[in-house]
Amino acid sequence: METEIDLLAVERGTVTAPAGCGKTHLIADALSRHTGAKPILVLTHTNAGVAALRGRLERSRVPASAYRLATIDGWAMRLLTWFPQRCGHDPDILSVTNPRNHYPAIRAAARGLLAGRHINDILAASYDRLIVDEYQDCSVPQHEIVVHASTALRTCVLGDPLQAIFTFAGPTADWERQVKAEFPDAGALNTPWRWINAGEEAFGRWLLDMRHVLIGNGSIDLAAAPANVQWVRLDGVNDHRIRVGAGSRQAPGADGRVLIMADSTNPTGQREFAGQIPGGVVVENVDMRDLVVFGERFDLTSATLVDHVINFAGGVMVNVGATAMCQRIETLRAGRARNPPTEAEAVALRFCEAPSYAGAIELLETINAQGGVRAHRPAILRGAYEVLNACRGAQSATPAEAAVAVRERARLIGRPLARRTVGSTLLLKGLEADVAVILNPAVMDNRHLYVAMTRGAKQLIVCSANQHLVPV
Amino acid sequence: MTDADFYLLDVAHPIVITVTIGELDDALKSLETYGNYLRSFNAATSTIADEPEAGSETVLSIRLTIGGDLDPIWTLASDRAEAVGQARFLTWGDRTRIAPTRIGALADNNLAWRRGSVLNRISDERPEMSAALADAARTARATFGDLAETQLGETLRIVEKTATELGIPIGDGLKAMLDTHSVSFSGGTIALHGSDGVPLRALGIGSTRLLLAGLQRKAADQATLILIDELEHGLEPHRILRLLGSIGAKEAAPPIQAFITTHSPVAIRELRGDQLFVVRKTAGRHEVTVVGTGDATQGTIRLYPEAFLAPTIVVCEGASEVGLLRGMDLHRAAQGEQSLTAAGVAWVDAQGVSKIYGRANAFRSLGYRVAVLRDDDAQPEAADEDAFIASGGALFKWRAGCALEDELFRGLGDQGVQNLLGRAVEFLDADLVGEHIQSASNGQHTYAACVFGLSTELRITLGAAARSKRGSWFKSVTKMESVTRDILLPHLANADETLRGTMAALEAWMVRGD
Repeated sequence: METEIDLLAVERGTVTAPAGCGKTHLIADALSRHTGAKPILVLTHTNAGVAALRGRLERSRVPASAYRLATIDGWAMRLLTWFPQRCGHDPDILSVTNPRNHYPAIRAAARGLLAGRHINDILAASYDRLIVDEYQDCSVPQHEIVVHASTALRTCVLGDPLQAIFTFAGPTADWERQVKAEFPDAGALNTPWRWINAGEEAFGRWLLDMRHVLIGNGSIDLAAAPANVQWVRLDGVNDHRIRVGAGSRQAPGADGRVLIMADSTNPTGQREFAGQIPGGVVVENVDMRDLVVFGERFDLTSATLVDHVINFAGGVMVNVGATAMCQRIETLRAGRARNPPTEAEAVALRFCEAPSYAGAIELLETINAQGGVRAHRPAILRGAYEVLNACRGAQSATPAEAAVAVRERARLIGRPLARRTVGSTLLLKGLEADVAVILNPAVMDNRHLYVAMTRGAKQLIVCSANQHLVPV
Repeated sequence: MTDADFYLLDVAHPIVITVTIGELDDALKSLETYGNYLRSFNAATSTIADEPEAGSETVLSIRLTIGGDLDPIWTLASDRAEAVGQARFLTWGDRTRIAPTRIGALADNNLAWRRGSVLNRISDERPEMSAALADAARTARATFGDLAETQLGETLRIVEKTATELGIPIGDGLKAMLDTHSVSFSGGTIALHGSDGVPLRALGIGSTRLLLAGLQRKAADQATLILIDELEHGLEPHRILRLLGSIGAKEAAPPIQAFITTHSPVAIRELRGDQLFVVRKTAGRHEVTVVGTGDATQGTIRLYPEAFLAPTIVVCEGASEVGLLRGMDLHRAAQGEQSLTAAGVAWVDAQGVSKIYGRANAFRSLGYRVAVLRDDDAQPEAADEDAFIASGGALFKWRAGCALEDELFRGLGDQGVQNLLGRAVEFLDADLVGEHIQSASNGQHTYAACVFGLSTELRITLGAAARSKRGSWFKSVTKMESVTRDILLPHLANADETLRGTMAALEAWMVRGD
């Protein structure tokens, strides 16, 4: 596939890249053609974005020496580590124990360093040029960091203002008034490669058309959509059952993957939904809160440790029956049980007698091996195994420390998609599958709607009571 | 490295040498590699800050630490890395790139393709000879073949017989062949040879060094540092100039940075004042002072390069004073005393009273011990002399209004004066000397009248006659040297207090070396 724009020819500019139009390929292509001695600095927004881009570059066999890849914040933190005096920051902020205050402080310090032009010669000596991906998600301070860095480096920024759905880090830089004012328009991608490669070009073209509709905040008529778009009509009575049906549909192909966009305000609902559809798993938030809580409350001396482990199992696997199992253990221990213990219960009893990290692993594994039980939150379960294993080692950490370490590691590694993945548009943005299912478009604005609609290369299934999708 | 390399043999205090390098190329300024070590140098204030700063040059500090274990440890130095206990050194590639070429006593290492050789820097070509060499070794073995058998036949038979007796199975027909291990080639096997096949490392010391300096210049875009120990070693003066030229000493924008030690006035004369640094040990510390490019200084370098190599300098008003000091030097040596040169004294001829302080103050400002030795018949600028003395310079001059000749005839005893007259007659002839005396005294005195019991007036006359415009008696380095050695110093004990005092003070100052 040919690229429409040569990023290496852009001295300073903005490339607008609609979803699925080959932005990542464009970057990979530029990096693979780069032959200079100095690497190209590639910045993006999230750790997940870094992991995804790195995976893509490695698959394309782009030599690692051609680029340095980091998040904007991660790179800013490295600048602070390298030049503490010049940044003049409080060293505590690098611990990021208080992200709400620390990240803004990190960005301010890095911006100050760059604004002072202290390291312009060093930047020019270190990197060939700067490419910033997912630029629509840049907060204003991050934008300023890039602008200051661009006084030393040729800079090209890429993004799609219609996919700007990260707003929790403060207001993002305005695409027209701030971004393009600094980095002149270097063109827009307009070939829907994701759909062309899936053999569904018409679908891709329709999505590009709908993009213009959504930019103008117009509504989308599902009846006028190509056959790839399936409208599953909600009747207001059996909505949940209808949605489960929609989420359970078989994706085309032997290992077709489905992304299911659920209500972003209701994580519990997402988990329940994942448990109710075959093979459904939840995509986890990067803070992996439940894993951290599991680690924090895991105390080998606690009398209720077995309940903690069983309840955790109930939280990450379906059909565990955690409450009933806890009661059974109590009954068994009191010697009042009429039925002999099941295998899982026997393991739990042994765990009660001699609590250990190894015992906890065995208990979780035995519960998971029971008929009908499956993990719908495998990332958290996998994390728990890692935590418990880390605690068994010679230089053992506490479970709480291990949980944080596992979470930080998980930030940096992308995971292959499960067959059916449930999450919010925020968590699924940047992922792509064969089928996208939107469970509740009525609560989405134009940006969320656009991100959700463009996740599937072959099919889009929309659960809606209304034939027209109207952005809120 | 031995314990003797430590200051006062105290191995408890590690040797720490920190060198800060600037004009870094891009690889050395890489954030990813050296982010924690990049510092800045402010040329205006000559200070190094631990982190880069706008308007300052980005630099790296390299530190060599040698502790009691004698193990040299190379690190990059920065306060912030030290604070968090980090240590790293240059990558291998960067290290070879910036490693200075050293042209020391043994420079022939550079004339083969060895590790770190300058030959590897002037181009990217490398001898890829391992296959060819291995082939050559095999061929050698094959060619050698059974050649040895005829020469070593008896030995072989004895070995064979012994082995058979002892029942050691070695098979029939023991052979003597080339040992494969002995035909191995190591790094540096490929070396430069002349057309006659003689390796270039057999060149003379000077030629080798000159060639290397030239090659280093060619490699300047890769390695910009060169170290030359004793520049003049093995080189004739004209080749010293060639060597300085070949490393770009005369170019407006110097292509390489060279650290050169020298004790050669030829080298000093050829260099600009801003290229010359005086290294001096004062109070246990070594100080390095740039000579500088002031007019007086630059002229002084050209005229008296030798003087820059001595710690103590006497600026003489003219040739007579120079002759005096040379005579004193010879006299001391003859007496079995330490010679003035051994005491580190150099003297220069200012060629006139008006030029004394231009020279003297130039030396003084560079921290040399400087004395001025002058006549008093003509006075230098008082302000210049005051400044010189205020800066710690020493002044020796003859009694009021007297030139050296006046002083000698006034101060020496009668026998000494007789000897002076005798020497004058030797240098000129009796008639001429008599004429000078008559002329200087308006006909009142004659040569014949100059006998024992000289009046002060007659002594003054003789002083004036000796400085006769028509032919001065002693005014040359050689003449005054012999006068001093043969007459002044042997008769100094009988001289008057003023002359004795001046001479004693001058000699004491020079020898004392305070």
